[in-house]
Amino acid sequence: MKKTFSNTYIFIYSAVLVVVAALILTVVSVSLKPLQTKNQQAETKQMILKTIGVEATRDNAAELYAKHITEDDGYYRFDGGIVLPLKGTGLWGPIWGYLALDSTSTVVGAVFDHKGETPGLGGEIATDKFAQRFIGKKMDSQAIHLAKNADHSNPYEVDAISGGTMTSNGVTAMLAKAYDDYSNLRKEATE
Amino acid sequence: MKNFDLIKLPFSKNNPILVQVLGVCSCLAVTAQLKPAVVMALSVTVVVVLANVIVSLLRNTIPPRIRIIVQLVVVSTLVVLVDQVLKAYVYDVSKQLSVFVGLIITNCIVMGRLEAFAMVQKPWPSVLDGLGNGLGYSVILIALGFVRELFGSGTLWGYPVAEKLGLYEIGYENNGLMIMPPMALILVGLIIWWHRSRNKDLTEQ
Repeated sequence: MKKTFSNTYIFIYSAVLVVVAALILTVVSVSLKPLQTKNQQAETKQMILKTIGVEATRDNAAELYAKHITEDDGYYRFDGGIVLPLKGTGLWGPIWGYLALDSTSTVVGAVFDHKGETPGLGGEIATDKFAQRFIGKKMDSQAIHLAKNADHSNPYEVDAISGGTMTSNGVTAMLAKAYDDYSNLRKEATE
Repeated sequence: MKNFDLIKLPFSKNNPILVQVLGVCSCLAVTAQLKPAVVMALSVTVVVVLANVIVSLLRNTIPPRIRIIVQLVVVSTLVVLVDQVLKAYVYDVSKQLSVFVGLIITNCIVMGRLEAFAMVQKPWPSVLDGLGNGLGYSVILIALGFVRELFGSGTLWGYPVAEKLGLYEIGYENNGLMIMPPMALILVGLIIWWHRSRNKDLTEQ
């Protein structure tokens, strides 16, 4: 490459390149958006169904969801209890989940997911193994929290993830927030 | 170099993983199961081929001073495209691959082929070079995915092979180590060993 390029050429070249790339990405992103949104909505419904023990596929999720769940002001009611939505931040980005409680505020099912936690470390919150640790725990008089070497007989304590401290802290924080909202909801209901 | 060699060599004597030792990161990370391995292999192949063609077409217009940036823009545009398409059509797989789709940008095979080949070659040889390297990478990924899923989870493409054969009843257990990334490294090491013993000329003095 003996050819030399002027600074003006380099500036114009990079500007054109970036604009072309941006245009292509915009067009694709806009045109694929409906499909992606549909997938995400089906996934959310699958997650909520999973907490109450209903296994749904991407295709029948909407149908089963309509059958089992009624939405109520940000909460999801099912026969025998309520599903709390959880939203928080992990180490790299958003984490979220759903927690199904029966009428005594005991956890009957949980599911968590994340946008970009490290696979194998913080990303472990999305596994069934982690979610199952919550079953039988309670959200009645205080929130569940994650702890190192958790005491399994304590109904408010769940084992944290080794190597995923920041993500575990995020899970504790979103459980605490969900507990506050949930206790307000219960107060309103009794008043 | 003959055109046919461009496709053939990356399969054996110039395999991107076994000989150039590029793209090992994703090779360890996504091969615990066959399906994500195949999708990753296809995605990388598509990105390498397209990036090679585009850079090769632009090669005489790219100012050398900003060539790496130009290559990065081309590669990252393609990767975002692949990511969007996966999210729309194979959502579950795209979730499994999670961060690794984005990491195709940093897959050394892509940048390596652009800088070493496409910048100085015509488009057609670049296509073949991209295809050869993409497929060379795919072969190893798929082989690893096959072995790791079969012995690690007892399934193939999600089909419960070990269960159907009735192996669990006679005391067979899955090898948990197989699904951990370190085992992928050991397997790659074994393949490289076998490969070098067959191609003595690759051994350093």
